[in-house]
Amino acid sequence: MARLARATLTSCGRFVTDAVGPLIIAALAVPLSAALLVALMPTPGAADRLNLATSTLTAALALALAVVAIAAAPDVASRGSWYVLDVASGVFLAVVAVVGFASAAMSAFYLRHAGRSWFTARHSHAWYYAAFNVFWAVLLALPLADNLAIAWLLIEASTAASAMLVAFSGKRSALEAGWKYLVLTTLGLSIALLGIVVVYVAVGLDGSGLGRLGWQALAQHANELPHEATLFAFVLILVGLASKIGWAPVHNWLPDAHSEAPPPVSALLSAALLPTVLLIAWRTKLALEPALGSGAVQKLFIGFGLASLLVAIPFLWRPLPWKRLLAYSSLEHMGVLALGIGFGTPLAIAGVVIHIAGHALAKALGFYTAIPLMREDPRTADTPARGITRTSPTTATAMSVSLFSLAGLPPSPLFVSEVMILLGGMQAGLLGVSSIAAVLLALGFLGLAHSLLEGLFGGRKSAHRRRSRSVQAIALLTGIAALALLGVTAIAYALPGSDIVEALMRSGA
Amino acid sequence: MSPAAITALVVLGFAVMLVRRRSIATLLVSAQAMVLGVAALSLARGRPADFLVAAIILLVRAVALPALLTFTRRRTPEPYLVIPATTVLVRLVLAATVVLIAAASIPPLGLGDRPAEHAAVALLSLGIAIVIMRRPALLQVLGILVAENGIYLLAISVPGGLPFVIELGVLFDLVLVVTVAAAFTHKIHGEVGSGDTDLLRALRD
Repeated sequence: MARLARATLTSCGRFVTDAVGPLIIAALAVPLSAALLVALMPTPGAADRLNLATSTLTAALALALAVVAIAAAPDVASRGSWYVLDVASGVFLAVVAVVGFASAAMSAFYLRHAGRSWFTARHSHAWYYAAFNVFWAVLLALPLADNLAIAWLLIEASTAASAMLVAFSGKRSALEAGWKYLVLTTLGLSIALLGIVVVYVAVGLDGSGLGRLGWQALAQHANELPHEATLFAFVLILVGLASKIGWAPVHNWLPDAHSEAPPPVSALLSAALLPTVLLIAWRTKLALEPALGSGAVQKLFIGFGLASLLVAIPFLWRPLPWKRLLAYSSLEHMGVLALGIGFGTPLAIAGVVIHIAGHALAKALGFYTAIPLMREDPRTADTPARGITRTSPTTATAMSVSLFSLAGLPPSPLFVSEVMILLGGMQAGLLGVSSIAAVLLALGFLGLAHSLLEGLFGGRKSAHRRRSRSVQAIALLTGIAALALLGVTAIAYALPGSDIVEALMRSGA
Repeated sequence: MSPAAITALVVLGFAVMLVRRRSIATLLVSAQAMVLGVAALSLARGRPADFLVAAIILLVRAVALPALLTFTRRRTPEPYLVIPATTVLVRLVLAATVVLIAAASIPPLGLGDRPAEHAAVALLSLGIAIVIMRRPALLQVLGILVAENGIYLLAISVPGGLPFVIELGVLFDLVLVVTVAAAFTHKIHGEVGSGDTDLLRALRD
């Protein structure tokens, strides 16, 4: 009986491994096909329905891959000519799949009342969904990329589609945000590309062609790389990627793009794009660390982390429009993730994973809440939200779940992850950095709590109220997100010391 | 690469920083891409596949993209010449300072062609400086192209060249970005009546 069960498991495992290649192709082909097919839809409603169907399929395929990847921990589930399906891929695929699906579903609510856009009313749904699906496909491919150069090409490709989405409303402010995002991130990625060419040269003739820049090849040859040129290249790559992650001081596009983009796109930018690019920075760190020594690499990550916290925290205290407040919160949380990766201890890395998952759920919910919020009171697009409990208890509940989770109020998983990261920093012997970060996070918590209470109970006595059908969707999403957040908190207690963390300590290699 | 070609590339980059007219700046960037393309073709002589890739890149960088930007410029006529935020002398001094600091501070990159390494970093820095100091949207796109030309200079100086996947992938991404940037330029012009990005200053905290 036991032999039969073992044989069944082995054959199942072999089937899954054999199916990984086709599954990956399908997970990327479905959204890319959807991007083309939406143009053929006769009505905006048909485009909505097609997008919902294809996004359900895409998310299911991506989640299946994520399960295969995480179940194989601490081993790599599958490796192909250009892709790797390891635990890190699995975690990030799951995040991108969940946020992508939720954003696709919420897009119909946004588009129903979007009003004017860059495109004519007849074609606006098709253009939106085309750009959305291309952007999502690139985000799904990014965690799978087993090569620094391919990862760069994917990140750069994401810029064009996402810039169009940022400026989708066609308003002057949205054009400004989209333009800033396009120009700054393209220049940043040019800097990163210079670093990649230098790494390619440094690896020399030890590797062949494109394979020289594979994560495994880089890690294998890292000890032989010239220190000075590799350090120079790493700084260029990290600074370039930082401009896309939105780390201070190269974050100027982030608050503008997040606040001006349609809310489902803001969710995808903040909860999926930023962490996924951060994964590439993380994989580059792990691959090149032997050539550079951990000290220099650690200082760079910690520098970006503390700078991001220092820049973000004062804005969390200011009366900002809802989406702009969430944007500065993204800057804060990318800073926390930089610290966690910089500390690099198993506990800190466990905290990073929990932080990415918790941040994605809470931040995406926050941005989706902007749909009914701005529908019920359009002034909240440009001014701070006030007295929401009096106008819409459902929206107020969603705002509370999102912002208290992001602030790190227990039992939010972000409370647990921040504690894990700070303790990880102490384990790494960086008591001073951990202490400064703890103080900044406490100030951030108070700032967000203050902003939320003002938004819920403060301000105007009378408020304009317009009923929005998206409120029902937000009520459902709030319940799901709250349960999922509690689930992530529960996982956080089991994660340290697990095979998953062991695998993440050597992601890609 | 010959010293004359490297000098020409850097001088053309400086000229983009200094000229006022978008049409002349587009021609200068096209000429820069042409110099790079011819150099790449001569380096690829005897290797048909490399030669073909270099020819495709030359056509796209030196002909197709400048043509797209010329088309965009004609569709977005400026009602008045956008006055630069700084004088020619200030721009020249700032650009020279940025380029000298950047080129002087880089360690040997391992190409075995130090002038090409310096020129590549100089062009990247010039491109960034152009984006920061020039107001018209189209000139900012040209700044991106100058920076990308710097990367391409480094790429063709790599012994054996870069893999085709990277060279063509970068070209594909560049076409995507410039096409979207051209669409933005047109839209911004339609919205504010000018391609002057200084008129887009609503988003401040």
